[in-house]
Amino acid sequence: MSRFDIIIDGQHVSVEEGQTVLAAAKHAGISIPTLCHDPRLEPAAACRTCLVEVSGQRRLQPACAWKVHAGMEIITDSERITRHRQVLLSMYLADHELDDDGLPRESPSGNRLREMVLEEGHAFCLEPTEAPRSSREDRNPYVGFDPSACILCARCTRYCDEVEAVSAITLKGRGAQTTISTVAEVSLLDSSCELCGGCIDTCPTGAMFEKKAPLHAPGEVQKVASTCNYCGVGCQLELNVKNGRVVKVTSPQPGTTLNDGNLCVKGRFAYDFIHHEDRLTTPLIRREDGQLHPCSWEEAITASARGLMAVKERHGADCLGFVSSSRCTGEENYLVQKLARAAFGTNNCHQCAAT
Amino acid sequence: MEKKDSKREAVLKALADEGLSREGMARVAALTGVPEADVYGAGSFYTLLTDPGPRVCQGLSCQLQGAEDLATKLEQGGGTVHRVSCLGQCDRAPVSLGEDLRLDVAGPRGAVTPDDPELPMNLAGAEDPTYQALARARQMGADAVLDALETSGLQGRGGAGFPAYIKWRAVRGEAATPKYVVCNADEGEPGTFKDREIMLRRPHLMLEGLAIAAFVTGAQTIYIYVRGEFPEETACLERALTAGGLEDFDVQFVEGHGAYICGEETALIESIEGRRGMPRLKPPYPTQQGLWGRPTLMNNVETLACVSDIVLRGGQRFRDLGRTEPGSKLYCLSGHVEHPGVYELPLGVSLSELVAAAGGYVGTPMAFSPGGASSGVLPISLADVPLDFRGLVDHGSMLGSAGVVVLNDTVDMAQVARIQAVFFEDESCGQCAPCRIGARLVRRALDRYLDSGDPSALAHLDDLAWEMDQGSICGLGMVAAEPAVTALRHFPEHFGTRS
Repeated sequence: MSRFDIIIDGQHVSVEEGQTVLAAAKHAGISIPTLCHDPRLEPAAACRTCLVEVSGQRRLQPACAWKVHAGMEIITDSERITRHRQVLLSMYLADHELDDDGLPRESPSGNRLREMVLEEGHAFCLEPTEAPRSSREDRNPYVGFDPSACILCARCTRYCDEVEAVSAITLKGRGAQTTISTVAEVSLLDSSCELCGGCIDTCPTGAMFEKKAPLHAPGEVQKVASTCNYCGVGCQLELNVKNGRVVKVTSPQPGTTLNDGNLCVKGRFAYDFIHHEDRLTTPLIRREDGQLHPCSWEEAITASARGLMAVKERHGADCLGFVSSSRCTGEENYLVQKLARAAFGTNNCHQCAAT
Repeated sequence: MEKKDSKREAVLKALADEGLSREGMARVAALTGVPEADVYGAGSFYTLLTDPGPRVCQGLSCQLQGAEDLATKLEQGGGTVHRVSCLGQCDRAPVSLGEDLRLDVAGPRGAVTPDDPELPMNLAGAEDPTYQALARARQMGADAVLDALETSGLQGRGGAGFPAYIKWRAVRGEAATPKYVVCNADEGEPGTFKDREIMLRRPHLMLEGLAIAAFVTGAQTIYIYVRGEFPEETACLERALTAGGLEDFDVQFVEGHGAYICGEETALIESIEGRRGMPRLKPPYPTQQGLWGRPTLMNNVETLACVSDIVLRGGQRFRDLGRTEPGSKLYCLSGHVEHPGVYELPLGVSLSELVAAAGGYVGTPMAFSPGGASSGVLPISLADVPLDFRGLVDHGSMLGSAGVVVLNDTVDMAQVARIQAVFFEDESCGQCAPCRIGARLVRRALDRYLDSGDPSALAHLDDLAWEMDQGSICGLGMVAAEPAVTALRHFPEHFGTRS
């Protein structure tokens, strides 16, 4: 890879061949607004917020897709670009659900368009487009979609295709009527969707939202880095904690952890167990009255060992089976099979991640 | 993401047979290996798939001649009639298509320039199926053909006016194989029906141009993409193909499914590949990475129809046929003129000369649109300006596909602007925000003005047009506000306060 210099806003920046203008600018600490950009996806250049002036080009060009070349000069801040951004944002505002302040509605996962309007300003107020985008009912418990907050950046559909290779959702229709849909508007439960929730994570405006996660006031929620314990992959996640309770799980920024911002249905949505009233917090033992009673670990282990040994004596070791869990560590799983084979003398052991 | 070895290119044709029902789409997904949602995404993009059946043209020329009355009459006869974008029959306005997409109601077919063997395309001439230009090209060798093409100065006749030889030479110079040659016969710019006449009258001329293009670029496979509303034209080409001449090439027909944007070359490529017709980002250009990522030469029907003459009679002769720019040109003329039709004239004639060839104006002319909806409108005071690629740009317009529509003083220019704005709103692909949102805002602003008579409804139109031009991905969005802006610029008296 060859390296060379380009000029961005008068500043010499060393870049690598093949880099985009956006990446080069970011490296140099120059911020260019984006909505449809996600580093995990091929550039779409659809939102047009990242347009910059490129030397030798009559038209403004998308920084997210335009590749650097030697001798190139880029301008990210000019009267022309300010006018472009502000008129474009005025158009977005006319096509978006607004709150009482005339700003794009805040969402539980943030609203980049709202922030951008506050940062860049807009040129004027236009009559709403009232674009006829069909919405659809969906009985799935996790992923909701609000077409009036959607800016058609297609991050969700591209993520579903390019990262997850699931292709459960698509751009549907064309022109102002374009919206996001499953095949024939079926529920995600009846589609190829795996409910990973990556569409929610990548959506810049909160049009794709988590049904069970309400809006919290800024500062109310603290993000705590943690590791998902549903399987052995070790995905990093952020527990969103409010008043000592986990109210949502999000993924860290793409590019910062091994799972690159991706999570699966369990990691992202299956956090209800943490504070669930049915959750076991002590060992229980069934006494002679037929009811479960709290007991000590020692008592529980002794009772289990005694019961298992009794089965072995009565029916033989192969009448026992040991099932472990991918939520246990590798060491714990090793110990379970050791227990089955060495202590009880059977090869009947299994784990849910084994095929 | 499709399965390996999927047949994505078969999706749209299969959907045309199956329809957009859940079961139909499941069958298409199973047949092609493309995910169901992608099948739906692609299908839902095309109006012939979402709204099959009889349709009435809403193009400007048809609306001038009573398209709405025709639609109402057909609806009263029972059944659904879709109001759709220009059907490329402006000389026969108003028109409707039946269930089978063949002409249902239509006026007599328009005129063409009388038989004159000196004309390169000579629409009224007899067909020549001997393919002697192809033989001559082979004799000359590819480089000599390229030189002749360069000398001829032939500019792309689809609308952009880009020198043809540059594309040809670029594809020939690419190392990657296979290469493809694609004929863009997705004629859809409102007011344009010249390619239709070439396909109906001189199919061999177009096919021979394709064969020469394939020979020069080293392509084996030729794709001919014809709009779905042209079944007769497709049949005509297929008949001509069976007469022989292109045996050395693999010729594939692809039907369009009702989307104007697929006339844009990268959208057309997406459509052949079985996807939503959304233009690609450029670069890379199709000459580098086109169909299936391979070097691809795409030309308009008329561009290809000029090639035989250039090969046989030389580039210089073709060049000299033009007046302000090289070559002869097919001008489509409709609207308020005596004899609408397709006239082959030197490139750079004026509207006055063109209309004179068509028997004169009907009524008192007031305005004209020189190159389809995309070119906006001009006042009749510019009737003596050369109609060419460069000159019209100086007047804030363009020659485009040379679909000239004449408007007389009975016309309300605000209504004209609205008709064109509806067209662009309907045909915007929706990919980029300036065009998707802007085309709708422009149409709704005109609606509000026409409803209320209050010119303040048109505030910010210039800013919207500026942003659509600056910010859109493709040419559609760049010009979608032009009809409104130019009507307002040249005919402010039509946009005053109305009671």
